[in-house]
Amino acid sequence: MKTFTPPPIRPGIHPRSGLGYRIDHGVRSSVPFLFVFFATLVLSAPLNLPGQVELMPAIIMATIFLWSVFVPVLMPSLAVFVLGIWADILSFGPAGVMLLMMLIVHGVALSGRYTLARVNFFVLWLVFGVVMVGVTALQWVLCCALALHIVEFLPFVFETVLAFGSFPVLYTGFVWTYRFVVNNADRA
Amino acid sequence: MPVSIQFRQALGKLVLPALILVACGVILLGKADRGLIEKLRMNTADLLAPAYGLVAWPQEKLRWVSGNLQDIRNLEAENIRLRAENASLRHWYDVAAALADENATLKANLHWIPDNAPTFVSGRVVRDTSGLYARAVLLSLNPDTAVRKGGIALDGAGLVGRVTEVGRRSARVLLITDSSSRLPVTLESSHAAAIMAGDNSALPRIIFYPQDNVPIEGERVVTNGEIESLPAGLPVGHVHYLRPGQPVVVPAADLDHVDMLRVFDYEDSVVPPDAPGRVPLPAGGGTMPLPAHPDQGLHG
Repeated sequence: MKTFTPPPIRPGIHPRSGLGYRIDHGVRSSVPFLFVFFATLVLSAPLNLPGQVELMPAIIMATIFLWSVFVPVLMPSLAVFVLGIWADILSFGPAGVMLLMMLIVHGVALSGRYTLARVNFFVLWLVFGVVMVGVTALQWVLCCALALHIVEFLPFVFETVLAFGSFPVLYTGFVWTYRFVVNNADRA
Repeated sequence: MPVSIQFRQALGKLVLPALILVACGVILLGKADRGLIEKLRMNTADLLAPAYGLVAWPQEKLRWVSGNLQDIRNLEAENIRLRAENASLRHWYDVAAALADENATLKANLHWIPDNAPTFVSGRVVRDTSGLYARAVLLSLNPDTAVRKGGIALDGAGLVGRVTEVGRRSARVLLITDSSSRLPVTLESSHAAAIMAGDNSALPRIIFYPQDNVPIEGERVVTNGEIESLPAGLPVGHVHYLRPGQPVVVPAADLDHVDMLRVFDYEDSVVPPDAPGRVPLPAGGGTMPLPAHPDQGLHG
């Protein structure tokens, strides 16, 4: 069977296709994954930052949410799964809970992305806050159920508030990364 | 293999639900087989322990420098305070020396058999693995040292916690403030036994103390030899009342900044004798012979 190649959309202009281009493109595409990967690693180190334990889920969730809404190609479900396992190994909490939270945030962002990608930033912020409240409540319930007693509630509230508060910063970082790092392959 | 676009799209939609199911499986697996997850985590921590040490080193130096600067500022006040304290300590030294002499004499008279000196391993705390619901630290250890699960971790001032997981190059120490930590303690002045229960706050509570012998504010709390691998008399802290009827222990150890820990191995320090309190059966599997004269009884 003869393979069908579509005609070029703009004849005469082709993307560069050398090895260097492919490496460059690959690195640029893996920036979101690598960011979450190294953020998890660094925040698990003994930096003695105030609120370090709660900051890790906040940064992970906001980053996954943003990339899943706007550029889901660069944050596929499998990558979220791998990052979830990584975060679980480094965090010493009950196994699998972080993983489940990350997949749920990713799923919500993915299913609502046609609406969410068009709304105002403040609405997006609010939606993220609501998602975070739900996910943290789930985390608390799971932690209680797995530990077989009521664990303290306040750290989870703090985690939610921290995630909500750090969202604008991460949004700015996301916009900058998308505009100047990921989507800048041809001009670099 | 050529597959239709519709089929591929349907497959793509199934990936996320399948992964969520796998995540639930991971949660169940973590509950069913704790050992597997702990092994994975300890192996990762082993790999990362040198890197964590590298991060901790400059912080420690910085704290040392800033501590030095502060010391220089309060040098004079510190000197005065130390002189006063020294005078008081000299008095206590005399008392202690006299008591030690007396103790040695008394022990010699009683043919006292001294306890074995416990072996210990020192390690640097490389990481605070305290999460939202746990208080624990990770120790970096030399791979040749033998640290066992259940080892007792002490800092310079008092009890810090117990070793719960051991890797090749690291060990995890559950602090006494963790909510799953329950230790039998003795209140030194009132001689009451109680349980010190951590609740993830800085001050573990005292529970199950006798109601006719309540803890006294400020009295010393030491460990109780009730459980194996934890000897009696290790300093833990002192009693403080947050409000009437709620005694807590103020730990002697500085649990906020644990730098170096010594892990003692008190394993099999006290071996209970077999079947305590039972009358041994005679050889041959027969029953116990009854005493010939019932009025003499068993003790006759």
